[in-house]
Amino acid sequence: MTSLASVNGRYRMFRSFIESIDEDAPFHFSAKDNLTSSAFETCAGSRVLEGYRPAFDAAPISRLSDIGGQLLGKTNMDEFGFGTFSANSAYGIPLNPFDTERACGGSSGGAACAAAVLDGHVALGVSTGGSISCPASFCGVFGITPTYGRVSRYGLIDYANSLDKPGILSARAADLSRYLPVISGRDPRDPTSCMQPDLVLTGRKLRSVAVPETALEGLSRDVESAFRTAIGTLEGMGVEVETVDMPTLRYAMPAYYILATSEASTNLARYGGMRYGPQDGDLALRFDDYFTDFRSRYFGDEAKRRILLGTFTRMVGFRDRYYTKALQVREVVINDYRRVLDDHDAVLAPTMPFVAPRFDDISRMSALDSYKADYLTVPANLAGMPHLSVPCGYDGGGMPIGMQLVADHWCEDVLLSAALDWEKGFDVRRPEVME
Amino acid sequence: MDRETVERVARIAHLKLTEEELEGYSRDLSEILEYFKVLDEAPGSEEFGFNPVEISDVLREDEPRMETDPADLLRDMRTYEDYVRGPRLT
Repeated sequence: MTSLASVNGRYRMFRSFIESIDEDAPFHFSAKDNLTSSAFETCAGSRVLEGYRPAFDAAPISRLSDIGGQLLGKTNMDEFGFGTFSANSAYGIPLNPFDTERACGGSSGGAACAAAVLDGHVALGVSTGGSISCPASFCGVFGITPTYGRVSRYGLIDYANSLDKPGILSARAADLSRYLPVISGRDPRDPTSCMQPDLVLTGRKLRSVAVPETALEGLSRDVESAFRTAIGTLEGMGVEVETVDMPTLRYAMPAYYILATSEASTNLARYGGMRYGPQDGDLALRFDDYFTDFRSRYFGDEAKRRILLGTFTRMVGFRDRYYTKALQVREVVINDYRRVLDDHDAVLAPTMPFVAPRFDDISRMSALDSYKADYLTVPANLAGMPHLSVPCGYDGGGMPIGMQLVADHWCEDVLLSAALDWEKGFDVRRPEVME
Repeated sequence: MDRETVERVARIAHLKLTEEELEGYSRDLSEILEYFKVLDEAPGSEEFGFNPVEISDVLREDEPRMETDPADLLRDMRTYEDYVRGPRLT
């Protein structure tokens, strides 16, 4: 077993980790640091929660622990999940194991890094707008984001309640099939999980996929080339591929950011320097000033930006134009997916329009540039539909490229089968791990 | 979004921004809202929900229960006689 301290010194995937690994444990796993854990501090990448030691484990952690898994540590992430590159983390920015001058993707960047670097590792991630698929693509691993409500959110530190979805990343496709059923299921502590049909793995094969025309726009040359080659491989596997028009996908990105920031701005109202996290405020301050002082000192730049955006889009006079319209657009996007999925098993597109960017390029991106980078992952997340990112190629420098399959609500079965079949025919590369 | 609006929103959200932050967020949010105008031409929907899938109410018997020891919850809080301390209301 690789030394965690040594490997973490190199790649910074962990916020915190155990000192002693149980070599006899049936498997080892990590959890993104927005899943509460009684064994470690849980900060969700934010200084607002520094020092917070939860009294209980999040449901997905409990379920993996109950079958003997050993929790190795908590993985670094963008503050509350606010980011595409895990560069908005207060506790360490994970480095891409294929090139440490590049990002792991976000917001489950530490999770993807751990899955890529550690042998036989199962990483719990959480996706709100693409936070499992994006880092899976950048780090060359498999990532499954299940249907909204499939996995209990009990113990998840909310970003956006109607969008958050715990899932799994691993270098092995079989781990997704093995462990997704373990963490899935109804949980009365999360009502959104209680209407789900059972997750039954029948081995349903991928027969037909639809590629939206817009999925081929705005791609880097390497991503487009790898994706076209992957389509050829799929056809060689007997999968029918059809190009389709999905006109509503272009509205998904703004609708997603409006809903996500609206919900985030209310969720983050609870952080006021009392009960958890730093409690070093001056109690002599006026009531409102106390909270304002604390929040202004401890929230990071992107958190403030999203609080401002979400507060604005819910304000009287703007609510109908932004928030209500975004809710309507979500319904329209769901119906667009349903129309296409009536005739196909999945919708296919590249996961990200480019390979993992360098940190110096990221520092030159505006907030909007960063939001726009999510245009391929956001629609399925807005619609709450299950999706899978698989490695599908490498650019000239050896950086991984991913493609994403989206299935109808509760149809994870076909995605998990597709992952297994794809892995049989595609040579997944592992990074050369430096300690 | 002009600086005055950013300042007003920040006040509602309990955030105090520096001059530099006001400038930066005003620029960023203007750019973002300009891009969001594409939603004005998006089709609407008569029916819509607050979640992407159907959800149910989960009710339980109204019986007291204690799943977490309050002492565990108070452990990291700044308290006085088991009350959480906060700023004065006046």
